[in-house]
Amino acid sequence: MMLSALILIPLVGTVIVSLWPHHRPAKEVGQVALLVQVLSLVGAIVVATRFDIQQPDLQFVESLPWIDALGLTYQLGVDGLSMPLLVINSLLGAIAVYASAATIQRPRLYFSLMLLINMAVAGAFLAQNLILFFIFYELELIPLYLLIAIWGGARRGYAATKFLIYTATSGILILGGFLGFVWLGGTGSFNYDATLAQSMTLWQQGTILIAILIGFGIKIPLFPFHTWLPDAHVEASTPVSVLLAGVLLKLGTYGIVRFGLQMLPDAWAFFAPWLAVWAVVSVLYGSLAAIAQTDMKKMVAYSSIGHMGYILLAAAAATPLAILGTVLQMVSHGLISGLLFLLVGIVYKTTGTRDLTVLRGLLNPERGLPLVGSLMILGVMASAGIPGMVGFISEFIVFRGSFLTFPVPTLLCMVGAGLTAVYFLLLVNRVFFGRLAIALPSDKVEPDVMLPPVAWRDRLPAIALALLIVVLGLQPHWLSRWSEVTTLAWRSPSVAIAQPPSTTPPSMAGFAPLPFTPDVTDD
Amino acid sequence: MADFWMQSGWLIPAYGLVGAIATLPWSLGLVRRTGQRPAAYLNLVMTLLAFVHGVGAFRRVREYGSQELNWDWFQITDLTLHVSFELSRLSLGIVLLITGLSFLAQFFALGYLEKDWALGRFFGLMGFFEAAMSGVILSSSLFLSYSLLEMLTLSTYLLVGFWYAQPLVVTAARDAFLTKRIGDVLLLMGMIALSAFAGSLRFNDLYEWVKVADLAPLVATLLGVALIAGPTGKCAQFPLHLWLDEAMEGPNPASILRNSVVVTCGAYVLIRLQPIVVLSPIALDVLIGIGTITALGASLVALAQVDIKRTFSYSTSAYLGLVFIAVGTEWPGVALTILLTHAIAKALLFMSVGAIILTTNCQDLTELGGLSRKMPATTVAYITAGLGMVGIFPLGCFWGYTLGIDFFWQSQPALVAVFLLVNLLTALNLTRVFRLVFLGAAQPKSRRAPEVAWPMAVPMVTLVGVTLLVPLGMHQMDLLPPWRYINVTAFVLLIASGVAGVAIGAAMPLSQALARSTQKPLRILQDLLAYDFYTEKLYRLTVVGLVERLSLASSWFDRYIVDGVVNSIGLASLMGGESLKYSVSGRSQGYILTIVVGVGLLVLLTTWRMW
Repeated sequence: MMLSALILIPLVGTVIVSLWPHHRPAKEVGQVALLVQVLSLVGAIVVATRFDIQQPDLQFVESLPWIDALGLTYQLGVDGLSMPLLVINSLLGAIAVYASAATIQRPRLYFSLMLLINMAVAGAFLAQNLILFFIFYELELIPLYLLIAIWGGARRGYAATKFLIYTATSGILILGGFLGFVWLGGTGSFNYDATLAQSMTLWQQGTILIAILIGFGIKIPLFPFHTWLPDAHVEASTPVSVLLAGVLLKLGTYGIVRFGLQMLPDAWAFFAPWLAVWAVVSVLYGSLAAIAQTDMKKMVAYSSIGHMGYILLAAAAATPLAILGTVLQMVSHGLISGLLFLLVGIVYKTTGTRDLTVLRGLLNPERGLPLVGSLMILGVMASAGIPGMVGFISEFIVFRGSFLTFPVPTLLCMVGAGLTAVYFLLLVNRVFFGRLAIALPSDKVEPDVMLPPVAWRDRLPAIALALLIVVLGLQPHWLSRWSEVTTLAWRSPSVAIAQPPSTTPPSMAGFAPLPFTPDVTDD
Repeated sequence: MADFWMQSGWLIPAYGLVGAIATLPWSLGLVRRTGQRPAAYLNLVMTLLAFVHGVGAFRRVREYGSQELNWDWFQITDLTLHVSFELSRLSLGIVLLITGLSFLAQFFALGYLEKDWALGRFFGLMGFFEAAMSGVILSSSLFLSYSLLEMLTLSTYLLVGFWYAQPLVVTAARDAFLTKRIGDVLLLMGMIALSAFAGSLRFNDLYEWVKVADLAPLVATLLGVALIAGPTGKCAQFPLHLWLDEAMEGPNPASILRNSVVVTCGAYVLIRLQPIVVLSPIALDVLIGIGTITALGASLVALAQVDIKRTFSYSTSAYLGLVFIAVGTEWPGVALTILLTHAIAKALLFMSVGAIILTTNCQDLTELGGLSRKMPATTVAYITAGLGMVGIFPLGCFWGYTLGIDFFWQSQPALVAVFLLVNLLTALNLTRVFRLVFLGAAQPKSRRAPEVAWPMAVPMVTLVGVTLLVPLGMHQMDLLPPWRYINVTAFVLLIASGVAGVAIGAAMPLSQALARSTQKPLRILQDLLAYDFYTEKLYRLTVVGLVERLSLASSWFDRYIVDGVVNSIGLASLMGGESLKYSVSGRSQGYILTIVVGVGLLVLLTTWRMW
């Protein structure tokens, strides 16, 4: 029942919040929602403490028959891949609720939608049945659509509809893939089974994989399916952006790793070189596009596209180390992008703009935002992969795990890591350095800007995330221990054939006979 | 107890870090009542502790030999990342130099930044800076060294950007970070490759691996060049040298460290990496090439600078170029001698420069003059530093030059010429600046120039003593070559090149009013050097331009092609729906006709075979 509790707590919370009496002060709604989120965070932590890290298989499995005729079972379980994501989901969920303005319009609807997202994402990470996963995956879409469409910015209608259409397409493709699993695999049950695809031919596996890749590629998002993300981020309010970047994108990478890498190993190995190329394109494209952005939120959104590409690269390489890298990178990207969106939100709230060409010198100690600026520098450095923060170690593991399998794509992705420094440095330099000024488009520079002080309440979530980023950066073992055994046990069976001549230059042939080379191909 | 100093050697970098964290209440503005000074004192004490600890450990090492401290920081599958420190005579000696200079520079900063409102933040950054530096030196694992080099990049960025409200500072900080970052990313690539090939990243394991390594020549070369790139950025070598001269926009006490010990850290990592770079002879040649180009180029560029800090920052690049040559020719001893002697002399030189800047509020050479009578201590410091920098027997840098020239005498006479030329040009430049600043008539900005106050004078005079005592210290530690090995011809040539430099510098016409020459060929040359061979422009046109174009192109592609396709699909479906709307006429005859035709076609289709 432990895992069901993680779904039930937010679900019950949703009901309570939406039915909260109207004569009570509106402020209470947010407090109740926060309480529910904290409870679910505690629940996730309890699960984590009981979680046996030596055990590679699913744990706390719960199974209830639901609709037998469809092969739908209410089956939950958690393993090293989903455990950290579950905690991050609850954590960022709590932060998003905490960071929501107390004076928000229609608080009952707003907070119940927030809790609903939390519940759906937790369900998707926990589900051990394809249809059940799909239900939760689709369920998360509706509240997010409403959150953007109701509480969003000026072009919220466009952004929300775009998001909806993209994600619905993604859902259709994924559903098609799942049906293919069962029909071609020849079983009547939709329960997760790593051996499901064994009886399929490579063609069949490949077809399913393409559907799944495109489906989750939209969600991650990968080039060229990404254009919904910048729009959605720009129009979404700060807490929604935190959830979107920190948690919802992870559903896509989780899906790719779980259903692609784990359940379609042969096709995956066949496609792996192309996936690595796709990752490179996504990384470089996202990073380059980020440089040219003038909206802070758009810049962070494009950086997400770049950083999620690393996960695809690591998944394509599929060495045990690289798979661990995918988990670390998911968590670290969740924390870092959450922090960046929170800070951009504060800047937007105090200055009324996010435009890089307008803002100047916000680091000013008396009249500016010195603490927010300092945290921004920290977040930006973490994203650029400066050691001592969690971004570095996860990128290091991704690159280190992928290097022997795909040397050239890995090096190209590292160029993307260099570009991250370029665009985020531009952001910090333009917005936080220099003389404090807000240069309006009409060439009229407001002379003596006096920004209102930021309340500690607003700073607190950002400080908490920053601390977490530094602590996990100094002690990455606290993060990796959850996934270590699971990812080790996966041992992708057929990496050996995944070395086409196209991505491996001839000179690299000299690697194999090295006595000290950890030999990946023998796994 | 004997082992205490050694076992806790990891504390030496930690002191600086603790000091840095302890300043947070002041720099965040949580403590206002006391003013910013306590933060500064805290850091001074911490640095002193690090120094004392270093001295203790140094003595133990002399008695018991070197020791390694090792922790498995992160262990997963086949990957182990170590945090390990090596306490040896060499590493502890350099750490003493770093902490000692850091202490003096911070003391100096008490005076230099007396009126600055952000003293706490400055000292916090200095503590962080110092911690990273001593960590880099003590580290015996490439992983740790890399991480700390990145910390250095970060703290350089923050220190250069200390006065972030000034536009020049903003670009300087950005360029410092990005140029170093290019080197760092390349180094990271090399490190990832090494880690994948060799398994471990501890230097000792890597040295063992090199003996059995069997890499294809191309791979070895790429690896070697990638490993070189990191130190190239840190030591401000061509083509990643731009940042150092811009970084001179930062506060002077940080410049003292940057020009002396920070570059030393980069070079020290290079020396540690050299046994791995050896795998590729081409990479070694690249090293020599980089060193030669930078040594000569930067020495020439320094001659044409009018900014007192920038001209000496180029000379730093030049000396580090000599170090690169020494490492490339596999003479690490020469490299270390140059590094250590240069660090002390350069630190002193920058202290005297700092004194001048603070007193006159000016760092433009053309606006200074006649300071020798007004600022005696500063003048003495400058002269001592100058003597320490050039090859004057028996002061510091002489020994590095002699050793280098001796070793290259037979095999590579061209490099001997490089060394002599750098010595000549450095002497020339020092004389030129001396004449401009200290001699001649006083100008408006240097007319009322009192000597600096004691917080700046004390460290300066102390360092004068240290500079003069360097040969004695080297003798004590048996670092000087025995007399009978001294090559007399080389000795004479070296002295002669220095004297020639001074003579040219003293004799050449200097006009303070006209910084640019009136003769066209000379002016073109002057401009070429003054603008650093137009490297910045070149970069703007090539690398920066390329990235900018690409980013604009991908952003355009994103908006108009990718999003355009998506939007046009949306538009097409909307249009489709709109146009279908008109088929709904509301007349039942039309509907019936449609149904009949439709059903008819269906029947036709299903019964086709029967016909």
